[in-house]
Amino acid sequence: MPERLASEDVLRVEHISKRFGPVTALRDVNLHLRKGEVLGLLGDNGAGKSTLIKIISGFQKPDEGRVVLRGDEVELKSVDHARSLGIDCVYQDLALVNELSVVSNMFLRREQVHKPFPFLARRAMARDTRKALDQIGVNIPRIDVPVARLSGGQRQAIAVARTVTSDADIILLDEPLAAMGAKEGALILDLVARLRAEGRVSIIMIAHNYVHILEACDRVNLIQDGEITFDKATAETSVEELNEIVVEEYRRARLAAVQPES
Amino acid sequence: MSTSSTTGPAPPAPAGPQSTESRAPRPGAREMLVRFLTLREGSIIVVTLLTILYFSLTTEHFFTHANFINVLPYFAPFAILAAGEVLLMVAGEIDLSIGSVYLFTPFMFYQFDQAGLPLVANLILALMCAAVVGVINGIFVEIIGVSSFITTLGMLLGLGGLTLIISDAQPVAMPGAEVTTRTVDVTHIINGEKIVLPEKVNEVGTFAKIFGAGAYSELIWALVIVIGVQVLLTMTRWGTYTIAVGGNRLGAREAGINVRLTVIRNFILCSVFAGLVGVLEATRAGSVTPDTAGASESMFRAVSAAVIGGTLLIGGVGTAIGALFGALFLGVLRDGLTLEGVNADYLDFILGIAILGAMVINIYVGRVRKGSGRA
Repeated sequence: MPERLASEDVLRVEHISKRFGPVTALRDVNLHLRKGEVLGLLGDNGAGKSTLIKIISGFQKPDEGRVVLRGDEVELKSVDHARSLGIDCVYQDLALVNELSVVSNMFLRREQVHKPFPFLARRAMARDTRKALDQIGVNIPRIDVPVARLSGGQRQAIAVARTVTSDADIILLDEPLAAMGAKEGALILDLVARLRAEGRVSIIMIAHNYVHILEACDRVNLIQDGEITFDKATAETSVEELNEIVVEEYRRARLAAVQPES
Repeated sequence: MSTSSTTGPAPPAPAGPQSTESRAPRPGAREMLVRFLTLREGSIIVVTLLTILYFSLTTEHFFTHANFINVLPYFAPFAILAAGEVLLMVAGEIDLSIGSVYLFTPFMFYQFDQAGLPLVANLILALMCAAVVGVINGIFVEIIGVSSFITTLGMLLGLGGLTLIISDAQPVAMPGAEVTTRTVDVTHIINGEKIVLPEKVNEVGTFAKIFGAGAYSELIWALVIVIGVQVLLTMTRWGTYTIAVGGNRLGAREAGINVRLTVIRNFILCSVFAGLVGVLEATRAGSVTPDTAGASESMFRAVSAAVIGGTLLIGGVGTAIGALFGALFLGVLRDGLTLEGVNADYLDFILGIAILGAMVINIYVGRVRKGSGRA
C-alpha cells in the first residue's frame, strides 16, 4: 500500500488474532479504513466479521495485534472508551432493550441529566430523539412507548439512528439491513450514501448482499476463515467477481467435508 | 402517570393501515380508566382498594384509626423489603438472603453497642455490615457466576446460622429502645379548683422514635424508600441501566453499560434496606429474637408483595409503588380476616389463594395491556 494512502487511514487494524477456546475466530487480520470512506465487509457466517467489529468497538479484546487510531496506537479498554475516541457501533442484535422506551434506547449509556442532579432530562432527550429520527427520515409515531411494540424495521432504524446521530466519526454497521424490508432498507442505504457524500464519518459496513455493498461502499474486504483474503475498490470489482470467490469457497468447503484433512 | 404528558387535543389519526400505529390518546373518562387499569400497578391498587372496601363494610372495627395503627407493622416493613427486592428482580436477579440480613443486622447493632459506640454509629456500622453481605452476594453472582437464587439461598442459611452463633440463640434487648418511665405533674381543674397530680409517662428516646418505635416511623420510612426506589427506577441512569441489564443483558453490555456494577450495587441497596428493616423492627419491638424461620417468612412475604405488585421474575419490568400496594394488600388481608374472626389456621390458606388470584388478575390485565397497547 502506498505511503500516501496509509497516512490518510483513520483506523488501522494490524495482525489481529482472536481465539475462543479451540476456535480461531480471527488470524492475523489487517484492515484499514480511510477518512470519509465506506468499507464493505463480506464473509460467510462465522467467518469472523462480527468478532472483528466487536474488537474495533471495544466490546472484545484481541489476543494479539494492535489497533491504530488516527496514527496513534490505542488499547480499546471498553465500549465506553472506544466511544469516547469516536468509534460507535450498530450491533447485529441491535442492543435495544425491549422494556425501555424509544427515547431511553436512543440515549442508552448517553443519557442527558439535569446537572447537578442525577435526574434524566426526559424532555430534552425526547426532543433530540424526534430530531434524530426525522433526520434519518424514519416514521415512529410515538417515542414514549417501549420498543418491544415496534416493527423489526423501526427497531433497526432506531439502532442506526442513535449511532449515526452521535458524535462518532467512525461508525461500524453490523448487518444494518438484516431485519429490514425493501423500503426501510433503502432508507438506511440512502442514509449511508448521504454520510458518504458528506465525508465527515468513516464507515465499516457488514452486509450479505453484493449489490448493496457495491452500491454503498468505496471499497470491499472479504473475510474467509478469519483471514482477509480480498481487498479491492468497488469500482474495480463486480457482482460476478465477488460471486465467483464465494462459489469457489463453497466448492472448497464441500471438498473439505468429503475429504477431511488427515 | 405517563398519560399526563399526552393529554391535550388529540391529533387526528392518520387513515389507512397506519392508523393502529398512532393510536391517539383520547382523554375521556373511560379511556383514563382503561389506562389506569393497564398501568403495571393498576390492578393491584384496585384489588387492594376493593379489599379495604370489603372489610370496611363487613367489619365494624376495620376502618378505624386504631386498626390502621394495627395494620402498619404487617405492611410497612414488607413494603421496604419488597422495594429492595424489586430493584434486583428488575435487574433479572433475586435476593433470598434479605430474610437473614433482616435478622443479622440488629444483632450486629447490638454487638457494636456492647463495644460502647453511640447509637448512630451502631446503626451506620450495622448497615455497613448489611452492605457487605450485598457485596458478597454480588461478587458470587457477577464475578464467580453462581446464579443469584443459589447464592442468596446459601447466604440465607449461612447468615441465619451466623446470627445464631453470634447471639448464642438468645434474644437481646435492642439498645436505644429502652422504655423509660418519668413522673410528670399534670394540672387538673375540677370544679374550678386546680389540682396537681403526679402521673407516670412511658417514653422512648428520640433515636428509637425515628427508627421504628414511633407510631408512624415505619410508615414514613416505607413511603420515603418506596418513592425513592420508584424515582431511582424511572428517573435516573441507575434505574435505566437496571432495566436494561434485566431486559437485555448482552445488549446492555454492547451499549457500554457496566453490567456487573449495575447488579452489584442493586444487591447492596437491597441488603441495606433489609438491614434497616431489621433495626426498625427490633427497635419497635424493643428486643430481637434470632428466629430464622420467621426471618425466612418475612423474605417470602416481601417477594410475594413484589410479585403481586406487578414485578416480573424474569427481569426488565417492575414497580416499587406496585410492591407497596402488594405489601398493603397482604397486610390488609391478614388483618381483615383476623377481625372477621377467621380461624388462624385458615389464614395462610386464604392468603395463598389470594396471592394466586392476584397473579391471575395481573396476567389477565397484562394481556389486555399488550392487546390494546400497540404503539
